[in-house]
Amino acid sequence: MLFLRKSLPPDQRWALFRNWVRRMGVYALAILISLWILLPIWLIATMAFSTRSNVRSFPKPFFPDPISTDTMQFFLNAEGILSSTGNSLIVAFATLALSTIIATPAGYAISRFVFRGRDAVRLGILSVRAFPIVILAVPLAVTFINLGIYDSLWSLALLHTALVLPTSVLVIASVFASVPYELEEAAQVFGCTPTMAFFRVVMPLTLPGIAAAGIFAFVTSWNEVFAAVLLTLTNRTLPAQILFSLDKASDPFKFAGGFFMLVPSIIFIFFIRRYLFSMWGQVTK
Amino acid sequence: MPYLLVLPTLLYLAIFFAYPMVSALQLAVQADVRYLNLRAEPDVTAERLPGTIAMQTVVDIIDRERGEEELASGRTRPIFWYLVEAQTVDEETVTGWVNQRNIFVESRTESVTGRINDGEPVTEWTTRHIRTMVNDFRFNSALRNTMLMIVIILPIQFVVAIIMALVLQAQPRGSTMFLYIFAIPLGISDLAAGLVWYSLFTQRGFINSFLVQMGILDSPFIFIASGQLGWILLAIVLAEVWRATSIVMVIVVSGLQAIPRDYLESGQVFGATLWQRIRYIVLPLLRPSLQVALILRTILAFQVFAVVIAISGGDVFTVLANETFRWYDRGDGGYNNPNVAAAYAGLIMIISLAISFFYLRAIRSQEETTG
Repeated sequence: MLFLRKSLPPDQRWALFRNWVRRMGVYALAILISLWILLPIWLIATMAFSTRSNVRSFPKPFFPDPISTDTMQFFLNAEGILSSTGNSLIVAFATLALSTIIATPAGYAISRFVFRGRDAVRLGILSVRAFPIVILAVPLAVTFINLGIYDSLWSLALLHTALVLPTSVLVIASVFASVPYELEEAAQVFGCTPTMAFFRVVMPLTLPGIAAAGIFAFVTSWNEVFAAVLLTLTNRTLPAQILFSLDKASDPFKFAGGFFMLVPSIIFIFFIRRYLFSMWGQVTK
Repeated sequence: MPYLLVLPTLLYLAIFFAYPMVSALQLAVQADVRYLNLRAEPDVTAERLPGTIAMQTVVDIIDRERGEEELASGRTRPIFWYLVEAQTVDEETVTGWVNQRNIFVESRTESVTGRINDGEPVTEWTTRHIRTMVNDFRFNSALRNTMLMIVIILPIQFVVAIIMALVLQAQPRGSTMFLYIFAIPLGISDLAAGLVWYSLFTQRGFINSFLVQMGILDSPFIFIASGQLGWILLAIVLAEVWRATSIVMVIVVSGLQAIPRDYLESGQVFGATLWQRIRYIVLPLLRPSLQVALILRTILAFQVFAVVIAISGGDVFTVLANETFRWYDRGDGGYNNPNVAAAYAGLIMIISLAISFFYLRAIRSQEETTG
């Protein structure tokens, strides 16, 4: 705390003091906002790791006492939870694979080639990303019923892919844009074909970014509720299964379910935090 | 070559975005109905008379004739033809022949009246589904609650998001950690967020635990109940602000990063206070980012669905997305009527497009007036 130093002239000390107050203010705000975000997560985590009788008790304690996996086990053993978790994983992985396969060439084309209609393509992709799934799900469900592919995990994965595709394309485009074209040229000078140059040079450099786009697709699919409840009947995904159990579910089920849904998101956001801005930030460009 | 690479994406988006949107509107304003045209002669190949007859129309039987019908196997079987006088949908009277398969009669040989019960399937335009939607007793509250939610949530979200972005921009020590914490809600589903806030607001939840332990309340207060729309709205607003502010923050941060540092520094040199710098330098330069975030958030706010169900159960408090689901739902709680569900989806689409258009116009005309 420099402003406490008596050797400095008073006006300088005053300026340093104001600076210090401002810095502390920023810290206080940062910590306050962090608490606002983390506290609810902490509270539901304490519930998920308490005994079931503690979950039902009132008033509720701030720390779990004793720590127990009883509530979590109760949730995981509830009917349909394990199988719907499996379904969710299948849909999420299918979405990940499909969106990456379709989006990678498009992202590469948008970042590497200057072609007529490029801006229109970019804009078109941008404008569909915000469309509410509420609008898409009903007619698609009716179409799927007519086509006889209703209540299938694959049809849900198709819809989830449509949902994440615009974002995946833009993220992957920004990832390719970050690798200078000169590297590809250099590889070709040293005797690589364009395809070889892509797989030997560009691919390894862009793999983390593409993986981030894939993780984003996975999380989106894992979280998606509305289309899942509309498109599946017997093959429910986890969010759909939880949503349909809510009206007759006990508090331990709800708390453990909420926590269980949270965990992958928290982990995955940690891995893709570097790409957040290319994922959501570049909308304005 | 580049066209080949973007083609799969464009095709995919056309199939899964363009087609469903058109088809949603179609489902909402079309209905499959059956109509019958009488025949000039008692024969399936005879000419059809003009004037269609609606199903369940009661008709007078003037005459009857026993004909024969050839089956696919080559054998024949007897079939009755009736000469009837009937009212068409245009309320004209026509007389013509009708096959026994299209009419219900008490007795084939004795009845003097019959009821038309089968005909040709036709797709026609109708406002029936829209009328059903608007006349539903939950429609008004769903529309009101959705709008109320958007009007309350968006301003709070934007103020909080700008504060979060400015805090990150000030780069306190550990700002990467703060960025991660601020970004956690990006990955949280609305169902999980709803359950988290349910655990706070439920009768034996954390808020009541806190209030009772502090001695502020003697017994738990019931926030979530059918008369308590204000409290339910508060819980939903908090859950949405908690969950969905981060995406606005990310957009604002990238907008802030595009503002040259010199602008802020020169503002500081000329003695502008923090508030003046935000008001006259940061906010005007952020306008494009804020505009995008505003459109994005408004459209996404119409999707709020699982939060409402997780907190309120979906019956005491309802929103448009919830009604879409209720009308589509083929289970016990739903009405199994995709047409009305599509009418709700179409309504959501029209409102969100109108609001986006309004934002774009409003912000542009503001720019024109300020020069």
